[in-house]
Amino acid sequence: MKGISILEGKYAMSMDMYPLQDKSFNRIHPFYDNLKEGRFTTTKCKDCGTRSFPPRVLCPECLSEEMEWVDLPMEGTVLCVSEQLAGVPLGFTPPLIMAHVDLDGELSYLGRVQNCQAGELKAGDRVKVVAIPIESIPAEGKKGAIIEMERVFYVFEKI
Amino acid sequence: MGRNVCIIGGGMSLWGVRQATARDLYQEAGKACFDDVPGLSNKDVDGLLVGSAFTERSNFQTHLAPLVAEYLGIKPKNICCRVELLCASGSSGIILAYGLIKSGLADVILVTGGEKLYTPQRWEVFYSELGTGDHDFDGAQGLGLPPPFFSMVAQKHMKEYGTTEEQLSMVSVKNRRNGARNPKAQFQKEITLEDALNAPPIVRPLKLFDCCPVTDGAAAVIIASEERAREYTDKPLVYIKGTGQASVNNASANMPSMTTWEALKIASQEAYRKAGVKPSDIDVAQTHDCFTISEIIEYEDLGFCEKGEGGLFVEEGRSDFGGDVPVNTDGGLLSCGHPFGGTGIRQAIEILRQLRGDAFKQVEGARTGLTHNLSGLTAAHTVLIYGRDV
Ligand SMILES: [Zn+2]
Repeated sequence: MKGISILEGKYAMSMDMYPLQDKSFNRIHPFYDNLKEGRFTTTKCKDCGTRSFPPRVLCPECLSEEMEWVDLPMEGTVLCVSEQLAGVPLGFTPPLIMAHVDLDGELSYLGRVQNCQAGELKAGDRVKVVAIPIESIPAEGKKGAIIEMERVFYVFEKI
Repeated sequence: MGRNVCIIGGGMSLWGVRQATARDLYQEAGKACFDDVPGLSNKDVDGLLVGSAFTERSNFQTHLAPLVAEYLGIKPKNICCRVELLCASGSSGIILAYGLIKSGLADVILVTGGEKLYTPQRWEVFYSELGTGDHDFDGAQGLGLPPPFFSMVAQKHMKEYGTTEEQLSMVSVKNRRNGARNPKAQFQKEITLEDALNAPPIVRPLKLFDCCPVTDGAAAVIIASEERAREYTDKPLVYIKGTGQASVNNASANMPSMTTWEALKIASQEAYRKAGVKPSDIDVAQTHDCFTISEIIEYEDLGFCEKGEGGLFVEEGRSDFGGDVPVNTDGGLLSCGHPFGGTGIRQAIEILRQLRGDAFKQVEGARTGLTHNLSGLTAAHTVLIYGRDV
């Protein structure tokens, strides 16, 4: 049957949850390259010194395009926790634990905490940023070639 | 300063889990809207704006406005496009219609908005929600569904200001009581404080009745210049007086505060300034009660009460009929449901009726009304002020 791509064994990249990380798709690919080496990094403007997160190719403060990569702290303190036990998005298993984490005054953001059960994490606990491998997407290239893209992402883990 | 601009009519489809397609819903909303202004025909409309966020995601339909125009028998000549700001898509359409008409680029614009969100597979809408924040960074960690985020907002507000779970529940009891009178609402049944407090948890401290549902629905309004409005209706005229729409961050890493919504303060101050009114002048308001905690913070950041006193504001009945400013008099998102693009239009319809004097339950003598939407994980806020006086 034609017109239903899933029945042809194809994968719709537009439905994928993770960004295309390879340098052929993404100008901030060093973020993912660094992550593979265990570094959590972002961009800093060489002209005005503004550090941005997420990383980017343009300084939102002075509009310079001169960026350098800098390391972020890889440990932080939990400010608040949410525990979703049901109805989590496809690709995650419940409980989905999210935490608002302060990376030692450098950056705070909401992130997922892996290997953590409901009731296990509370404000004040310490967590670390860890890199995890993401299943690669079998992308269809020219002449039927299948391109496997190695991917990685970051997540918190309780210390 | 341009022309005076009025909202002259509006209507909506039944909202809920509907056995209908998106285009069915736009037709129902359009019909209800035109029925509200018998003096106006679809042939009089010279512009169309359609607010919808998940149209490509849930219905696989891009280039939505020409489709809606065709189905409603509208032949736009001044504007015909879709507007997207997730939960504020509809309000964004009204702001744009206001600007176009005020400046003379159009005379009569139909602004509609809606979503068909429900597919038999509930996970689809949850999965698509991962694209509503910063997809590549926050979404890829599983952030995007509202309940975990608003659970943290509630926890922090409770810790910082002493807001209680009972006060959260009081918002849902009030709004469900108001919604029980609304024949278009997804939920038309009152609940008790006990029901709300004993409901199953969604993401603690938020329980079932603290959260708005997944909804299919559409709504539509007619915005016109004052001159043209007088041709089409004998009902009291309701003017758009002021607008504001603000964003100060998108990614969770750049949020100034989870419990004080800076963008809401900015948007509302802009709207008050343009309208020449202050918070105490607002007689009735429809605010974005996607969660009970949202409405509590909105009382504060809209200036209806002091910071941190939002819980007391609902507890003392100051946001109910007879109080300082009745809020979500048609049931709000908690009763009506929330088809993203439809919500701002639904709010405008309720304010129109309240100011015109023909609401389901009337705020006596209301002359000035306000609508508010937050969108995304509070990444943008949109405020409009309407009035019987220019
Ligand atoms: Zn710079």
